[in-house]
Amino acid sequence: MMHNFLFLIFLVVIIFTIPSKSEGQEESAGKPVLKLQYFNNNGIQYLILDSKLKKNKVLYPQKNITYSLYLDNSEEPNLIGKMTTDEDGKAKSFIPVSLKAAWDASQTHTFIVKQGEDEIISDYSITKTKMTLDTSAEGDRQIIVNLKQYDGKNWVPVPDVEMKIGINCVGGVLSATDDPTFTTDAEGNITTEFKRENLNGDSKGNLTLVAKIEGNEQFGNVITEKVVNWGVPTVVNNDFFNQRTLWATRYRTPIWLLAMAYSIIIGVWGTLIYLVFQIVKIKKIGVSK
Amino acid sequence: MKNSTQLTEEQITKDLLPQKFGKFGMIWVGVLVTICLVGLYAYYRQIRYGLGVTAMRDYVSWGIYISNFVFFVAISLVGSLITAIFRLSNVKWSTPLTRIAEIIAVSAIVFASIIIIVDMGRPERFTNLFVYGRLQSPIMWDVIVIGTYFFISILLLYFPLLPDLQILIKNKDNSGKRLNWLYRFQGSFWKGTPEQHKICNKAINTLSILIIPVAFTIHTVTSWLFATTYRPGWDSTNFGAYFISGAFLVGSGGVIVAMYIFHKFYHLEKYITELHFDRMGRIVVMLSFLYLYFNVNEYLVPAFKMKKSEELHLKELFTGDFSTMFWFAIIVGMLIPIITLLFKKGRKPLPMFIIGCMIVVGAWFKRYLIVTPTLLHPFLPMQDIPANFRQYFPTWEEWAITSASLAGALLVITFFVRIYPIIPIYETITEQLESENHDA
Repeated sequence: MMHNFLFLIFLVVIIFTIPSKSEGQEESAGKPVLKLQYFNNNGIQYLILDSKLKKNKVLYPQKNITYSLYLDNSEEPNLIGKMTTDEDGKAKSFIPVSLKAAWDASQTHTFIVKQGEDEIISDYSITKTKMTLDTSAEGDRQIIVNLKQYDGKNWVPVPDVEMKIGINCVGGVLSATDDPTFTTDAEGNITTEFKRENLNGDSKGNLTLVAKIEGNEQFGNVITEKVVNWGVPTVVNNDFFNQRTLWATRYRTPIWLLAMAYSIIIGVWGTLIYLVFQIVKIKKIGVSK
Repeated sequence: MKNSTQLTEEQITKDLLPQKFGKFGMIWVGVLVTICLVGLYAYYRQIRYGLGVTAMRDYVSWGIYISNFVFFVAISLVGSLITAIFRLSNVKWSTPLTRIAEIIAVSAIVFASIIIIVDMGRPERFTNLFVYGRLQSPIMWDVIVIGTYFFISILLLYFPLLPDLQILIKNKDNSGKRLNWLYRFQGSFWKGTPEQHKICNKAINTLSILIIPVAFTIHTVTSWLFATTYRPGWDSTNFGAYFISGAFLVGSGGVIVAMYIFHKFYHLEKYITELHFDRMGRIVVMLSFLYLYFNVNEYLVPAFKMKKSEELHLKELFTGDFSTMFWFAIIVGMLIPIITLLFKKGRKPLPMFIIGCMIVVGAWFKRYLIVTPTLLHPFLPMQDIPANFRQYFPTWEEWAITSASLAGALLVITFFVRIYPIIPIYETITEQLESENHDA
């Protein structure tokens, strides 16, 4: 009975140890994690590949790794380009003009990523879109966004797509209203009022409006911007740097310091020069004797 | 100068004229020159391979060179104490010590300037300080004030030397052709007329007044190089006075050491008497107390508050890696001198010499303690850095260069004593005549 019990424990330990060991081995070697993203940024299309290595639950960038990116199939004529990852493990590639015919031929495209002969990503597809961002002519701060997709013949409205609309700023988008996101209607339109008051713009008061679809499964990332004069002009005050301070450049030394230092220097060195002349005077007296 | 009252003018002149190097003198010069040559080779290596040959890294960027610079600046203050303050206070007994103090000041300030250039990775860019210097920077103030102090010290050495140069020219048989040419070049025009004396005395008095604020400025500005930087151990409004009091002490210690050497090895017992040692001993007690007082202020007040940012720094000094050096500097450099010199027997020449050496050595390590531990304890934690960035111990190149600078300063003093009378001959004779007239 006791032997059977011990054998059972041994068996349980073995069963749980073997797979956990192989998992551990995989963990120590690291598991590659690749992410491809399509961008349509103000009509310019490009792709960003993010290559990471997952090790002990931490993602490490994989730098200096070269991948081949293809459009629709992995044949040589459809090669978009070879991408080499940077220090952050990222690589960027634009769709070349040579593939314009292939790009125009279909409303949906698939991107294929290969490393050497291995196909690593083969199922990343996007549908071509066209997004416009406009403001109303009445000058009442209305933003009008329209989203269309290509159906093979015509550009048709796309309903129910979520996006951000607002001001482009560091770290994200400051929404035009209190709602964080907006959704297109049946006509593919979003009309909203810009409710942000007294925002600092550039020196002319310009703000950059942006409509942004992020990480959409069908359309990828679509960004459209427009500069509007709805902000408060930012007046850069250079007086701080023009002041005469202890931390300013040598040409902006405080007057009090200059006056104090030079009066001491002139006083002391004036006396010393006078004393040197006294030596000359002593010499003259001695020579005349 | 109780004994010198019986001396004739000829005897004084004979005793005080420069002496040729004897066997011991030649060995002494040979040793100093050898140390200087080793230092020059080490400096060649530093120029050739860069500051990487030193142990200075990102955190400790001011090492032994800067502590040596502060030491030199400190010891140079003695020129103003003995020459100027005593002169203006009409202290007559200090006459034989004035030139000793002045040559220590000049040699120290010369090597302070040299060592600061040695600390630069690109010494050829030194001129940039003048071309692109900002008057707002304490470093610029230091450059200006060191230059001024050097020039004043040279003049203060030269003016009282003029009557002695006439004596040296008269006794040309005592010196060689080259030295006679040098004496004539420097002072053949001195005829000792009342008008010349009047101008000379007026100039010395002017310089004595001028050197005091300049000397105070040089030490205050040097302390500000630290105090204007927000770091544990340096963030003090007391630093100027703390540096000045320390400088007076180490300078006096240096003079006592020199006094004993001239008293004993140059056989000037009749001129540097036990009275001088006794008086200097009393002054050193006062200066030690003063410096100890500032030390208590500098360490006790922050230790009482024990701010988090200062805690590590203070603990390292009191009980940590630097504690041996710290307590050595306090006990050997201040406490033992105070206790010993309070007693008359302690103010005899030999104990005074030992105490002088202790003060100078203690003061050198004290400067090291002011500079290095602070740099090892920055406000932000040291992270992701090589192990050798966390500690500092000078390399052989740094030791060699520092030793060479100290040897160089001693060499300047040694050659000065070989060329010029270390005790003013004319003033000694004049004071003796005045004393005789007074007695009569």
